[in-house]
Amino acid sequence: MTGFRAFLAGFVDRNGLPVAIYLGVAVTIWVFLLVALPQLAMLDFSFRHNLPPSKMGGPEDVYTLEQYRYFFLGSEIGPEGWNALDIGVLVKTLIAAVAVTLIDLAICYPVAYLLAQSARGAAGRLMVLALIVPFWVNEILRAFAFRILFGATGVLNELGMSAGLWSAPIDFVGEDVALYAGLSYAYILLMIFPLYNAIESLDRNQIEAARDMGASILQVHRKVVIPYAKPGIASGSTMVFMLTAGALAAPQILGGPSNLWFTQIVYQWFNDGGNWPRGSAYAIVLLAVCIGFVMLMMRVFRVSIGAIGR
Amino acid sequence: MTRGPAILLPFLYLALFFAYLFGPLIIMAITAFNSAGFPRVSPWECLTFGWFGKLAQDARLLEGIGNSLIIGVGVVLIAVPIGLAAALTLSQVGPRLRASLYTVFIAPILVPGVVIGLSTLIFWDRLGSALGAGYDTLFYDGIFLTIAGQVTFIAAYSMLVFLSRIQRFDPTLTEAALDMGATPTQAFVKVLLPFMAPAIGSAAVLAFLASMENYNTTVFTVVAESTFTTVLASKVRYGLDPSISAVAVIIVAGTLVAATVFEVAKRRQTRAASGLLALDRPALKLIAHPVFVAALLAALVGWVAWTGANHDSSVCEMRVLEDKRAVQERLEQERRERLRELAPAAPSQGGSQGGGAGGAFAPGSLAPGGAAPAAPGGAFAPGSLVPGGAAPASPGGAFAPGSLTPGGGAAKQPGGAFAPAGLAPSAGSD
Repeated sequence: MTGFRAFLAGFVDRNGLPVAIYLGVAVTIWVFLLVALPQLAMLDFSFRHNLPPSKMGGPEDVYTLEQYRYFFLGSEIGPEGWNALDIGVLVKTLIAAVAVTLIDLAICYPVAYLLAQSARGAAGRLMVLALIVPFWVNEILRAFAFRILFGATGVLNELGMSAGLWSAPIDFVGEDVALYAGLSYAYILLMIFPLYNAIESLDRNQIEAARDMGASILQVHRKVVIPYAKPGIASGSTMVFMLTAGALAAPQILGGPSNLWFTQIVYQWFNDGGNWPRGSAYAIVLLAVCIGFVMLMMRVFRVSIGAIGR
Repeated sequence: MTRGPAILLPFLYLALFFAYLFGPLIIMAITAFNSAGFPRVSPWECLTFGWFGKLAQDARLLEGIGNSLIIGVGVVLIAVPIGLAAALTLSQVGPRLRASLYTVFIAPILVPGVVIGLSTLIFWDRLGSALGAGYDTLFYDGIFLTIAGQVTFIAAYSMLVFLSRIQRFDPTLTEAALDMGATPTQAFVKVLLPFMAPAIGSAAVLAFLASMENYNTTVFTVVAESTFTTVLASKVRYGLDPSISAVAVIIVAGTLVAATVFEVAKRRQTRAASGLLALDRPALKLIAHPVFVAALLAALVGWVAWTGANHDSSVCEMRVLEDKRAVQERLEQERRERLRELAPAAPSQGGSQGGGAGGAFAPGSLAPGGAAPAAPGGAFAPGSLVPGGAAPASPGGAFAPGSLTPGGGAAKQPGGAFAPAGLAPSAGSD
């Protein structure tokens, strides 16, 4: 405790009392009131029964695992065994998020490399600007643009059919092609900038040295650029993965009628089902699984969480 | 060396990439000017600016935008100071504490927006009911909740902006100020804050934009209110309509103007830094000035808007309507002929009436009157397919009496009379 008090005294000393209070209050409000307590409230709520407001706090308001049981085992009346529907949706969401992350990585790596290593001055700035501009259009409009592209009478179908590539309209939306394309598009920026930042600081001499030693272009990337850019790759991948898994707008607009995204189930429990505790439990499951997955990947690829956001 | 064609590969890739980036937006923008009722590029019907007019009359959207602006300002006012405080705190602690604090601060960015929205909603709801607050208090207010939810992660964005700036801060500046007798507070206000000023500006812009375009968190926390994004989302989900494309056109145009002005200002700055500013040529200096460029672009946008407001697409839309009706009638005619061929043995009752009318108008020159009485349903069908949702409904109504009158000649007249009636609504919405 004395260590903490000394730290506090030093903190106030260094900043002056008013600034120290400002820093302390702002950070405390943020961390506790906005981040930690709401998450704890949600966690607490997920262990409760779905009760009408009049019964809350009453004798029936006890802790229960019912909401989680439902996620794993399904309704009591239904057939025995696992809640295959919801678990299936979660697994599908995760796989899709991984796929979208890999697609984005593949698309963005060359762009980030070219941008960081060749574009200089005004041209480079213009390209960065051109990257940002599409992302000032919000997520919903971007998804809408993909609806126009991929719809049954959309541009792609019209083009393909008039070129004679296929004769009947392809159901891109039902097949989830539109969803994947839209999601990959939506988070490109979050992949490019961490990659760009990482690669930009790489000394060009290193690449030239490798070339001089006889490394092929592929070898240069595999042995020099990619290891160097690893924190950037981890950062971009983590963000794209988490945002894709947590996306709601794009699946609502671009998802096929029979295909659900896990966030849509959460949304349904909250808004249509009116069962907040179950919605909370599902949200906790989503959060836990996503964080667990990211941690696992970081362990596998040996990156620290400090790399994220850099 | 295979340098020849290989050197073009990167450019080709970049071109493809930017085509992917801008293609969907360009196509969406084009659909905003097509009069077809469904957002599409082909078949092209008429150049129209009517969808923009429809937007301006959309009360729900305007209300949503109003709420979004309030929320955006609130988020900027709270998230930016929090982000700054977090960045300053991080810059002062030791490396071990720093790493764990950083993890805590960065977490809200990684937590799915849905989860943040839910947890905010539940927390304030529980707190409100624990305190016995009524439903009209802050705890249940959509705008307050949305600000709280959005600040949670937007503060982390701001923090990242400040962190990258603070890395370049020279701490000896503060020390010098302290040595000169400044209090720590004075050093903060007079040395550190001015240094952070550009970052505060960009963090504020970023926070505002992030707030405006957030959906995942907002859709939960907004409760009974609406914001720009939630209105848009419900519009998109419950029916595609080119006026949504018009929203995108406005945003893209605004973005392009801002980006151009930014680029011009940046170039001016770098030129000034390298002493290349064209001081000796006042005309060039004026033209290259960001304010002048901004005024020029504003004038351009104003001119396009003015032209659009005065552009009358109703004549063209009428023609498209007529074309569609003609096609419909031809199909109807063919169907009837097929029916007659299939049932030659029973040319009675319905057949005689329809056939008679068909016979009278067989040349097809008077087709509009001829088909309508025979198959009113068919005549209505094109109306429902036709652009400008509002317009076809009233022509349909005006047409109904005409389709009931048996005489072909009589049916033709209402058809002619309905044209001006059909014009009225679409002209009004322009």
